[in-house]
Amino acid sequence: MSVIDEVTREFGRLPGIGPRTATRLVYYLLKGTRAEARRLAEAILALSDKVRPCQECGDFSEADRCLICTDPGRDRSIICVVEGAFDARSIERTGRFRGRYHVLGGRLSPLDGVGPEELRITPLLGRIRAPGAAVVEVILATTPSVEGEATAGYLEGMIRPLGPKVTRLARGLPVGSDLEYVDGSTLAEALSGRREM
Amino acid sequence: MRLSRLSLMGFRNLEDQALEVPPVGVAIVGPNAQGKTNLLEAIHYLETFRSFRSVRDEQLVRIGWTYFRIEGGIGESRPLRGTEGTPGGFRARVVAAAYDAQTREKRITLDGEVAARIGDAIGAVGSVLFTPDDVRLVSEGPAERRRYLDVLLSLNEPAYLKALQRFRQALARRNAALRRGEGAGSVAAWDEGLVRAGAEVSLGRAQWIERHGQRFSDYYQEASGLGMARMRYESSLLGVGNGGGSHGHGSQPHTLESVEDAYGAALERSREMERRLRSTLIGPHRDEVRFSIDAPEGGRDAREFGSGGERRTIALALRLLEADTVREQRGREPILLLDDLFAELDEDRSRRVLSLLDRLVPGQVILTAPKESDVRFRRRLLPRWRIRGGAVTTS
Repeated sequence: MSVIDEVTREFGRLPGIGPRTATRLVYYLLKGTRAEARRLAEAILALSDKVRPCQECGDFSEADRCLICTDPGRDRSIICVVEGAFDARSIERTGRFRGRYHVLGGRLSPLDGVGPEELRITPLLGRIRAPGAAVVEVILATTPSVEGEATAGYLEGMIRPLGPKVTRLARGLPVGSDLEYVDGSTLAEALSGRREM
Repeated sequence: MRLSRLSLMGFRNLEDQALEVPPVGVAIVGPNAQGKTNLLEAIHYLETFRSFRSVRDEQLVRIGWTYFRIEGGIGESRPLRGTEGTPGGFRARVVAAAYDAQTREKRITLDGEVAARIGDAIGAVGSVLFTPDDVRLVSEGPAERRRYLDVLLSLNEPAYLKALQRFRQALARRNAALRRGEGAGSVAAWDEGLVRAGAEVSLGRAQWIERHGQRFSDYYQEASGLGMARMRYESSLLGVGNGGGSHGHGSQPHTLESVEDAYGAALERSREMERRLRSTLIGPHRDEVRFSIDAPEGGRDAREFGSGGERRTIALALRLLEADTVREQRGREPILLLDDLFAELDEDRSRRVLSLLDRLVPGQVILTAPKESDVRFRRRLLPRWRIRGGAVTTS
């Protein structure tokens, strides 16, 4: 296999990249300088050399504890539980959350052999129970699918006895949507989760 | 509804062809094993996107081919009185389904637009199919009857299909958790999803049975000429012996909340048993539809004690109710698909069934018959197609 084919295949394995995009990337790189190629290669290598899970929240980090967990400006009394690090990025982008995260590393999915032991649930309970932790609220931000709901339900049962308030992301109308086009079950959720103005 | 055009490519033994279907319908006449039923199967595929003979899609591809494609033009005969201009009201549309056996990919389009989910496109044809196999609805196990209701309600009540899918997802995962021997907490994590969707499914089925119970008895009586039959829905979630039946004695009508509560409580009670058997024991996947034929000393169960003719008549009444449901829910006359309908009905019963069908389902009809003398329904009205070795001659 030629080098071009090999790199094309490697690019093609990345999410969201099909054979055509992979080929385009390879030919783009071929036009660049050796220094540019080296910079890219080293940056990619550094990802696996330097990045590891944060010992506290499980998010990716370059130190034992990540930038959010070590930030004294973040509210230590609120933990937002997400399925993956990507979800934490999404919530971060909103700029509306000042607490800290906990990354589960997936959701309950017994058909794929993922039970509670396969998720980072014990470390989460450990964080809540830790002496002096004073966690007052845990936000469950799992996806609103059958599996995400079951995961949230399971976590709620484990966390509530430990004291903190357990909340769930609201479900309902997408911002900027038209009521007419919203499907029945979403509208029903929005109705039961309505808020006083 | 009315099927105006049918194009076929690579489907079973049928020749690749485009057929114009007359507004009144057509009688397809030809000896056995020439492709009559395959033609009805192709039409019905556009309704549910799977074969009514419960075979896998790869088996529908013509031998030596890698894919099939079916396209149907759906028109309107005339809207029923009072439904003109209702939302979702009618317009001509084109439904197409293609299956590629190599990639195992199924593509469904409505008016050229790819339907992201099968649920978005099912029910576009609005047909009701009668086949000699319908008797299995009565003679086979309860799964057959649950499937009948599931297909019927999915095609006619959009919310039902969603609930059914959520129920199946939750059930599969809960059973996997039980099989893996997971702790009580992580099994119970699936309960809420199971209960909410499951209650909707059980109640949806029970309410349909209840709404149509009286008419079922009427149709049965008219088709059989004598005797009475009843149907009822049995569910552990709805209380034994009163599956929402219209003859319930002093029982409260069920609400979604009451069924959810009953389901939750039943799961609670069976937790230990489920742990041992490693399977979910309570829910709509265990419900049953029971048919009884009235005899002086009380009802006889049709599945166990019914005669062949009685079972056939029950199945027929169920299909007639299906046609009613299409009409009620979609406000259009269903297309009648009759596969060799009178193969096994005796003379008297045939005559009564014919007049019942003629009166109840006045729309387009597409029927098959092995020979000319078997065309006994609208015989003067229907044009004939001949079929030989998969080739249709429309003359």
